[in-house]
Amino acid sequence: MTAQPAIDITAEPVSRVEWLHRSQLSANDYNPNHVAPPELDLLLVSILADGWTQPIVCLPDLTIVDGFHRWTLAADPRMEARYHGMVPVVRVQLDPIHRRMSTIRHNRARGIHGIIPMAKIVTQMIEEGVKPDDIQIGLGMEDEELSRLATHIGLPELAGALDFTKEWTPGKKPAAAKIQRVK
Amino acid sequence: MLYRRFDTVVVSFSGGKDSTVCLHLALEAAALTGKLPVRAYFWDEEAIHPETIEYVERIRARPDVELRWLCLPVKHRNACSRRSPYWYCWDPEQEPLWCRPLPAGAETTHAWFKRGMTIPEASPYVYGRELGTVCDVRGIRADESLRRLMSVMHRLEENWLQGARNGNNYPASPIYDWSVTDVWTAPMQHGWDYNRAYDLFYKVGVPLNDMRICPPFGEEPLGALYRYAICWPDLWDKMVRRVPGAATAARYSRTLLYGFGGERLPEGIPSWREWTQRLLVLYPEPYRSIISAKTSSIIQMHKNKTKRPIPEDTADPHSGLSWRFLANLIMRGDLKGRRQGKLNDAALKQMDRQGLTLTELMESDRDSTTRY
Repeated sequence: MTAQPAIDITAEPVSRVEWLHRSQLSANDYNPNHVAPPELDLLLVSILADGWTQPIVCLPDLTIVDGFHRWTLAADPRMEARYHGMVPVVRVQLDPIHRRMSTIRHNRARGIHGIIPMAKIVTQMIEEGVKPDDIQIGLGMEDEELSRLATHIGLPELAGALDFTKEWTPGKKPAAAKIQRVK
Repeated sequence: MLYRRFDTVVVSFSGGKDSTVCLHLALEAAALTGKLPVRAYFWDEEAIHPETIEYVERIRARPDVELRWLCLPVKHRNACSRRSPYWYCWDPEQEPLWCRPLPAGAETTHAWFKRGMTIPEASPYVYGRELGTVCDVRGIRADESLRRLMSVMHRLEENWLQGARNGNNYPASPIYDWSVTDVWTAPMQHGWDYNRAYDLFYKVGVPLNDMRICPPFGEEPLGALYRYAICWPDLWDKMVRRVPGAATAARYSRTLLYGFGGERLPEGIPSWREWTQRLLVLYPEPYRSIISAKTSSIIQMHKNKTKRPIPEDTADPHSGLSWRFLANLIMRGDLKGRRQGKLNDAALKQMDRQGLTLTELMESDRDSTTRY
């Protein structure tokens, strides 16, 4: 086994995180990324639940390259109470073109969740006894999404958990009786 | 002609391309007959494109148009959600959630308007009997869909003129035989103003026939819901909280979770028949009863045609029905019965595939309950 050449961790931005007050930072004027309210709420949940796991990326003059929405949320009362307006920052040296590329890259270099695997995970959580409300908050889903995902696998237990009733009203077909419980 | 035949002519103006043509035709006709200004009414559906608002404002400001701006709590379909399949724009109870503030000069209550009315139900009442016979000019065109073709075939004197609704209100569709390109040729040749939302549609690559100014949460427009988030993010921020299911539908409306690509049975479900039943119980009352009654009537239609049981997957060659079809129908929550026409297509296809003719089928199904 050949020895790995040593890496210079001090050269990495994450090795140089500074804690600064949010008022020292400023937004850039070109970010095309828009976060809708449900996802913004989820971002807040994410930081409050996990703490700061990623620093905000800034230019040396503290213009934000990535992390605008986390920076905005730092003003939220719950964040203010916990962090007193302090945010973790790493500074990177980028020319005007590459800083715009970097902003877009940070947002675009991510995947898309498959529907079936999502349906499976959600179903699994319910089977493990997680309350639908906690799943909704924890994953930023409205009940419509949770219900469509969970029922897609065919999990009748969720029908009970979400307050669905089971009888057919009109006609004579005893359909509800035919629904089998899936183990 | 309409201005001579009726006491009053009004234009049902949506801000869309078709009603733009109607309005300008009315302006010409009214000028010829000395009946200016043109009366027009606009149903403001609350969650509408900013460009539409700007355009309707420009029309309202014209001295030759007398525009009524209606912001009434009209019932609209919300296909995003199983539990709340309808929403009411400008619902006074939901004012904090409104997508935008009430426009100036809007009409918000009327004695004739009852909560739960839809636009087609309420429209005949907008202009009262004191105006005599009212001709309601609409931009409905036959080439939009079969349903619309049917609606311009109720002949009064001409194909495009219908008999009275509510005693004095005669719907007219003067551009019933225009094609979608005609509708665009007219404003271009005459230099008419139009809704700039179409420019945006064009830029984001929407096909000409699909460029529609319509309520966003219905069945047909649902597949394009995600477009609001891209084109009008500020409007979307409000829309996503306005009706239940909007965020879910924007994410999944073109997927199997909303009945698209419903050719495979979900894992763990033994049959389409069972899936049909499971889907139905997911709807709360009263919608479950409505959908259930619709489903029963389709099944009855099948039974009238043949004694064969409803097939699981492939369509019956006579009725076109299968449990898979019913499951997908219920998944989409087709409250208006808009997809039932597909049954004929399915039957014809299956007939072809099995090498049968309609006569042969009717012969073999002769002992069923149907009387031809």
